[in-house]
Amino acid sequence: MSSDAAQRAFIDRIDRHRGILFKVAAAYCLNLSDREDLIQETVAQLWRAYRAFDGRSSFSTWMYRIALNVAIGSLRKETRNRRTVGPAEMAFLEQIPEPQSEEDERLSLLRTLIANLPPLDRALMLLYLDDYAYAEIAAMLGISESNVGTKIARIKERFRRHAQLIVT
Amino acid sequence: MESALKSLWAESNRRLEASMRLNAVLLENNLGTAKTSLNRLMREVVFELAIDVAGIVLLGTFAAAHAAQLRFVIPAVALDLYAIALVVLGGRQLAAIRSIDYGRPVAGVQSQLEALRILRIRTTQWASLFAPLMWVPLAIVLLKGLAGVDLYAAGTGWLLANVLFGLAVIPIAIYVARRFEARLQDAVASRDAIRRFEEARP
Repeated sequence: MSSDAAQRAFIDRIDRHRGILFKVAAAYCLNLSDREDLIQETVAQLWRAYRAFDGRSSFSTWMYRIALNVAIGSLRKETRNRRTVGPAEMAFLEQIPEPQSEEDERLSLLRTLIANLPPLDRALMLLYLDDYAYAEIAAMLGISESNVGTKIARIKERFRRHAQLIVT
Repeated sequence: MESALKSLWAESNRRLEASMRLNAVLLENNLGTAKTSLNRLMREVVFELAIDVAGIVLLGTFAAAHAAQLRFVIPAVALDLYAIALVVLGGRQLAAIRSIDYGRPVAGVQSQLEALRILRIRTTQWASLFAPLMWVPLAIVLLKGLAGVDLYAAGTGWLLANVLFGLAVIPIAIYVARRFEARLQDAVASRDAIRRFEEARP
């Protein structure tokens, strides 16, 4: 396969799973320009690692793992200057119009709750909400399966305080 | 709660995908030239290493050329030791960068990134701490090597000027050390947070 063809095939695969890039960028970046930078950096990193992709895990799992690694690594650089995130400046808020329906409010709250989690817990929750099995989450994050279960239970407990808004 | 959360999340993702587009053409065009932050860091470290290695070679040449004059050999050796230490630390950074594989599990990769950050901060702190001490040997070697000027012959006025210079840079050195100490503490706190995340606590 020529270099151009390989690049095109790679971008096609990325494009098929672009949702991973969007959700990870949205969970770790406050504004659109940061998200754009993060997506560019992630795609560059994916391309760099693509030759070593051996297909042992699915492409989407591999892509998710790299996207999370790039996002958390970038976030740490950013937090030197911006340590805390107030509720008014949460991720996604600039993307979505003022809450108009009850569902908008619940979505906004869920995003806010996720954005307030520490970076690794956020990764855990993203994978959990995307319906990955505990064993897969454990393998992607490099922790034990029982640890995954314990952490998810704790985070859900924290979320439960807002259950009246999340659960209809 | 679980299914409610997951369906809400699915809706969030659906909206996100509907509101954003990936410019595949632009991404493909940039692919050949795109550099990751690790690429950039590696280039930076390699550049620093190249300068340090060149410095070691030049200092060795200088010391050999003035082997009979201890007053020139001693500052050259002091600078050489400083440059060798920087090469060792730079080599460790390079090895750390090369060992990072973003395709590996997240907690491990983040630990490696944090260890690299700590190593870079400590290297900078160490280099900044000793840099003012290197000023006098550097001036002696540079002026002798480049212009043939013997600073020892300049007498007490020169010595006094350099003592004053040394005193003047102390506040800057303190400022730099404090600045990097805060970053170091931040990095250590992040490393500890990753360790806690990795620990299985019932």
